[in-house]
Amino acid sequence: MSTPALELSGLKKSFGKAEIIRGINLSIGKSERHAIIGPNGAGKSTLFNLITARFMPTAGSVKLHGEDLRGLQPYQINRKGLSRSFQITNIFPAMTVFENVRCALLWSQGYKYSFWNLVNRSRQLTEGADAILDQINLLGRRDLPAGTLSYAEQRALEIGITIAGGADVIMLDEPTAGMSHSETDYITDLIMKVTEGKTLIMVEHDMGVVFGLADRISVLVYGEIIATGKPEDVRGDPRVQEAYLGAALEAEH
Amino acid sequence: MSDQLTTDPSKPAQRMRAGSMTLTLMPWIIAAIALILMPFIFTSNSALTIMNQMWITVIFALAYNMLLGQGGMLSFGHAVYAGVGGFACMHIMNMSDLFASFPLPVLPIFGGLFGMGLAMIVGAFSTRNAGTVFAMISLGVGELIAACSVIIVAFFGGEEGISGDRTYAMPFFSNEFLQQIDVYYLTSFWVILAAALMYLWSRTPVGRMANAVRDNPERAEFLGYSARWVRFYSFVASGFFAGIAGGLFAINYEILTEENLNTASSGVILLVTFLGGVGFFFGPIIGAIVFTLVQTVLSLQTELWAFYAGSLFVATVMFFPGGLAGLLMMHVPVFKLGNAKQLIQPYIKTLLPAAIGILGVCALVEMTFHFRHASIGDDEMTLFWTTFDIHTLLPWLIAGAVALIGIGIAKRNAPELKEAWDAANTAGDAS
Repeated sequence: MSTPALELSGLKKSFGKAEIIRGINLSIGKSERHAIIGPNGAGKSTLFNLITARFMPTAGSVKLHGEDLRGLQPYQINRKGLSRSFQITNIFPAMTVFENVRCALLWSQGYKYSFWNLVNRSRQLTEGADAILDQINLLGRRDLPAGTLSYAEQRALEIGITIAGGADVIMLDEPTAGMSHSETDYITDLIMKVTEGKTLIMVEHDMGVVFGLADRISVLVYGEIIATGKPEDVRGDPRVQEAYLGAALEAEH
Repeated sequence: MSDQLTTDPSKPAQRMRAGSMTLTLMPWIIAAIALILMPFIFTSNSALTIMNQMWITVIFALAYNMLLGQGGMLSFGHAVYAGVGGFACMHIMNMSDLFASFPLPVLPIFGGLFGMGLAMIVGAFSTRNAGTVFAMISLGVGELIAACSVIIVAFFGGEEGISGDRTYAMPFFSNEFLQQIDVYYLTSFWVILAAALMYLWSRTPVGRMANAVRDNPERAEFLGYSARWVRFYSFVASGFFAGIAGGLFAINYEILTEENLNTASSGVILLVTFLGGVGFFFGPIIGAIVFTLVQTVLSLQTELWAFYAGSLFVATVMFFPGGLAGLLMMHVPVFKLGNAKQLIQPYIKTLLPAAIGILGVCALVEMTFHFRHASIGDDEMTLFWTTFDIHTLLPWLIAGAVALIGIGIAKRNAPELKEAWDAANTAGDAS
């Protein structure tokens, strides 16, 4: 068996005395689409932030293609081929849509911190950014400030920025949060299209999206993974049903 | 509305390339021609001095805006980099053997290198964060180095500063820069070169990422760029161009003092840049020109010029956060819609009375100042080409009435202007 794209072992995170992530072991294979679901407050976003070094783990390790990510900064992790989106839309609102995507291409095209190249002279950059815009159906909005786009368009742009750098492990944090049905379908198709052949890890609440996209699902409850498996297996798991039913009952009271 | 702004999706790349060269080169050619012709219009030596000061401020303000506008870093101590560049150039001027070995126009490069060197040292720790931390460190370092001017006398020359003589350089095509006009063209050459380089910088990968880091450092980090290093490179480049401005200052004035380093100078450049507008590349250029005019021309007319400059600054910050450049650029959509003509009449109806009213207020301020500060028995003052006795009631009544009526009319007509503005910004109504 080849090395997994992402491997978490014994991952723990505490804030003060509160243990938010209580030891997570998870292995996600190459080109797998993996969804992480769970009730609110289960620690899904915290888990994302641990993987991408936004937070330091209290214990345990994160391995990307078998390489330990401990001590690396977010930008170093990104250079190793892991890219993420955020739960709250995180783009460059003052820049044009085109520039948002172009910024995302700079590092992967090897421009680094150079000040001897002019970005608008590079055909490769312009065409690369336009190709991404075409993929996310935002060519028509190319020269608008990103902040003026509709919510769904901003989410699509964020996915575009996330995939633009050519990372092979893509992490999406609730890509369809707050969207209407038609918007959700649009984003789901988009995710399907742009993550072709890549490893996808996503946190998602919408079960339609999860069951439509994911090859495997992990259920996170109170900082622990209580089940991992194919969608139909997870759906039938009594513990998962209990966790969700329990949460639903709590919400009613 | 949005349809108007959307571009043709079929071939955006071609559209961008076509005509972009001539469009971007045009302002530079016009600026260069204007710089060459200026001395033929304004021939006096004092005008040349004012223009030299203006172009130096332009370079410094543009360098400052690399931090503030493009990098989102608010510095309270940027005069230090210009000052140290200037002091370094002055020392080179005084090393007669070295100075005689190269022509004078090369000298500002040394200023740039010293400014850059200092920026590298300070930037190594100050650019870790933007925001308040960066601002406080810049203030502290600025104060520290300004205080050094009286401690390290060998370099900064203590309270009287250090001076030199630019004419000892190797003659440049047999020119020794004895005349003010020679220095003018040297400064003009550098202002075009430095502005062009700074503009090109904003078009490079690191320049683009400076904007990205300013808007959203976290997102930039997840695109493979270290926000800290992007800030560092912006800071170092800004230090370089500030040092160039300092070198030109040394050439122009042949003396540098503690004043070139201190917090007041740092404050002025912040004010200049903000006045012009941080959001556009050309903003600081406008700011530098307007401020230098206020500082030089207005200061000949009134002792209270700093009061007016300050009021202008406060008004800009409060009402036009985009600065003068933002105010200009606000009108671009109106012109694009072809509605500019609709605005002429409302502008005259509101702005003319407002201007008269403000002049009335200025008259009151000047009269109060004269009343309080003129020596005893000096009751006569001349204001707007009229001489009158300050201790009579009539001038006060006239000034007060002009102020009240002018501002009153402006206030009454303001809603009309707003309506016209909204109409001019709406597509379709005009046709």
